Amino acid sequence: MRDPISSSNGADGRVSPIEALSEASRAYGAIDVRSAHPRWGMAVDLERCVGCWSCAVICKSENAVPLGLWWNRILTAGDDLDTPATDEHGDPHLHWVPLACQHCDDAPCEKVCPTSATYINAEGLVLVNQDDCIGCRYCMAACPYGVRVFNWGEAEYPVPEGTGMVATRPVGSVEKCTMCVHRLAEDQVPSCVWSCPAQARIFGDLEAPESRLVQMLESRNPEVLLEEKGTRPKVSYLQPRRRRPIERSES
Amino acid sequence: MSPPRAWTVWISVLGVGLLIGLASFVYQVSNGLGVTGLSNTVTWGLYIVSFMFLVGISAGGLIVVAGAELAGSQRFEHLNRLAVVCSLAAVATAAGSILPDLGRPQRAWKMLAQPHLTSPLVWDMVVLAIYLAIGAIDLYILTRVPVSRKALRVMAIVSLPVAILVHSVTAWIFGLLVARPFWNTPLLAPLFISSALVSGTALVVATAWVVERVTPWRAGAEAMVGLRRLLLWFVSADVFLLFTEVMTTFVSGEPDHREQLDVLLTGRLAPVFWFEIMIGVLLPVVLLLLPSTRKRSGMLMAAAVLLILGVFAKRINILFAAEFEPLVGLSPGIPGGRPGQLFRPDEVYIPSWVELGILTGMAAFFFAIVTLGVQRAVLLRHDEPAAGH
Ligand code: SF4
Ligand code: SF4
Ligand code: SF4
Repeated sequence: MRDPISSSNGADGRVSPIEALSEASRAYGAIDVRSAHPRWGMAVDLERCVGCWSCAVICKSENAVPLGLWWNRILTAGDDLDTPATDEHGDPHLHWVPLACQHCDDAPCEKVCPTSATYINAEGLVLVNQDDCIGCRYCMAACPYGVRVFNWGEAEYPVPEGTGMVATRPVGSVEKCTMCVHRLAEDQVPSCVWSCPAQARIFGDLEAPESRLVQMLESRNPEVLLEEKGTRPKVSYLQPRRRRPIERSES
Repeated sequence: MSPPRAWTVWISVLGVGLLIGLASFVYQVSNGLGVTGLSNTVTWGLYIVSFMFLVGISAGGLIVVAGAELAGSQRFEHLNRLAVVCSLAAVATAAGSILPDLGRPQRAWKMLAQPHLTSPLVWDMVVLAIYLAIGAIDLYILTRVPVSRKALRVMAIVSLPVAILVHSVTAWIFGLLVARPFWNTPLLAPLFISSALVSGTALVVATAWVVERVTPWRAGAEAMVGLRRLLLWFVSADVFLLFTEVMTTFVSGEPDHREQLDVLLTGRLAPVFWFEIMIGVLLPVVLLLLPSTRKRSGMLMAAAVLLILGVFAKRINILFAAEFEPLVGLSPGIPGGRPGQLFRPDEVYIPSWVELGILTGMAAFFFAIVTLGVQRAVLLRHDEPAAGH
C-alpha cells in the first residue's frame, strides 16, 4: 500500500486523538457522504473567512510541521500582514486567501518528480512518498502555488518531542498538505476544516452529488486559483456574494 | 626529469580546490541544505546555475568536431581532441553538479531505479549519458592513428542531433513549467542552444590559448580565425533570440511574465542583466570586430573569457528572474524554512560559503579533467611534428 503517511499513522507510539473524542465531537467532524470511489475536494468560503489563522496553526500541530515551515497559510492583499490593502474609499480591504496544496487534478508537481515520490492516490490526493523523495525540489519549481516546503535541516518543534499524529519527515525531503489523509481514513474531515471557527471550509467528496461540498459549489460562485495554468485544482474558493453590503454614505 | 615548478603549483591548486569542494559537500550532507543560502522561495541556486552553464559550455567539442566534419572543413583538425576533452570535462562536471543540489544525494539512485518518465529531469539524465558516451567515443576515434574519417563522419551524424537534444531538454527542465512564466517560453530551447554555442566555442578558444602557451601544442592560426568568425555568428544568434524574447515580453507579455522580466530590466537582477549585455556581449563583440584588436590572439582570449562570463550571468538571470517573483506573491509570502524564520515576502538569495566551496571543488574537478585530457589525449607524440606556427 503506497500511502506512507497514513500508514505511518500512530508512529512514535502516538494514538490518534480521534479515538479519544466525544461522540458529539466525532459527529461534528464526520465526513458527510462518501461515494463508492471518492475524489476529495475542498471549498473555502471567502465570505466567511475571517483571516484568523486557526486552520494554519492546527495544521502545523496536527501534522508536526517543523518550525519555519507551514503547509497552510493565510494570504492577504496588501503590503504585509498588518497593513491590508485599502479600497477606493480608503477603507481596509479585508480579503483573505487561505492557501495550501490545491490537490490539482493535473498536478505539475507530480509530472516533474523524477522518482514518482510525488504521486496521486486513488482518491485524487497529491501525496509525497518520503521514502522515494530525493530532495531535488523540482516539484517546488513546478508548483504554481508555492505551497511545498523543504526540510532544510534537523527539524525543530515547539515541544521537543514534536506534535502531530503522523510520522515526521526526514531532512532533505519535500512536504506539503496531505489533505489530512490520516484523518480521512478515520472518516473525519481534515483538521483545518474541523477547526475553522467561521466554518469557512467545506470538505467533501466531489463524486457525491448529495455532499454539501458539491451543493455549495453548484449554488455559489466557485473560483479556482490560477485557472489559466490548467492545473485543475480540487480546492475552490467561493466568492463573497456582496463585497460592500452597506453603502457608504457620502457626506 | 622533475616536473617544472608551474606544473607542481597547478596540480596543488587543483588538489586544494578538490579538497575544499569535498569538505564542503561532506559538511552540507551532514547538516542538510540549510547551510546554503536557498529557501522555499529560491529553491534552486548556484548549483543549478552551474548545471545549466556546464551543460551549455560542453557544446564546443561537438561543434568543432561534428560541425567541421559535416561541413567538410579541415581547418579545425588540430583542435579536435582539445575540443572534445573540454566537452567531456563539462558534461561530467555538469552531471556531478546535480548531486550537491539534492536534499538526499544518498538516494539519487532512485532516479535510475524508478525513473518517472514524464519528468524532464529523467529525460535529461538519459540524453546527458548518451552525450557523455558520444564524447568518449569521439575521443577514442581521434586518438587512434590514423584517425578513421568514416567513423568520425558517422559520429558527427549521430552527435549533432543529440547535442541539440541535450540543450533543448536542459532548457525544457525549466521551459515546461507553467508555474514560471519567464521560463515557460518556446524560445527557451533555442536560447539554450545559442548560448551553448557561444560559451562552448569560447571555451575551446580560451583553453587552446592557454594550452598553446604552456605546451608545444599549437591550434594553428587558421583554426583560431575560424573560431573567431564562429563566435561572432553565434553571439549574433544569441543576442537576436534574447532580444526577441525581451521585446515580445516587454511590449505584449502577460503581466506575470512581464513582472519577472522587470526583475532583470530594472529590478534586483538589473546589475547582473546589464553586466551580461554590456560586458558579456557588447564588449567582446567590439574586441572581435575592431581592426586594431581582432588580429591579436590575446584579445581573442579576452573576448572568449568575457563571453563565457556573459553566458554565466545569463544563466543566473534566467534562473532567478522566475524565482524572485513567485506567481502567488501575496503577503505574507512563502515560509522561510528555518526555525525562527517566518515568511519571506521579498526573498533574497545570497550563496553561502558552503555553496561557493562546492563550486570551487567543481571548478577544480573540471580543470583536473581538462588537464588530464590535455596530457593524455591532446599532446600525442605522433602529433608533435605537426605543431608549429
Ligand atoms: S498545489 Fe502545487 S503541490 Fe499541490 S498538487 Fe498543485 S502543483 Fe502540486
Ligand atoms: S523533491 Fe522529492 S517529491 Fe519533489 S520532485 Fe524531487 S523527488 Fe519528487
Ligand atoms: S487538509 Fe490537513 S494538511 Fe491540509 S492544510 Fe488542512 S490541516 Fe493542513
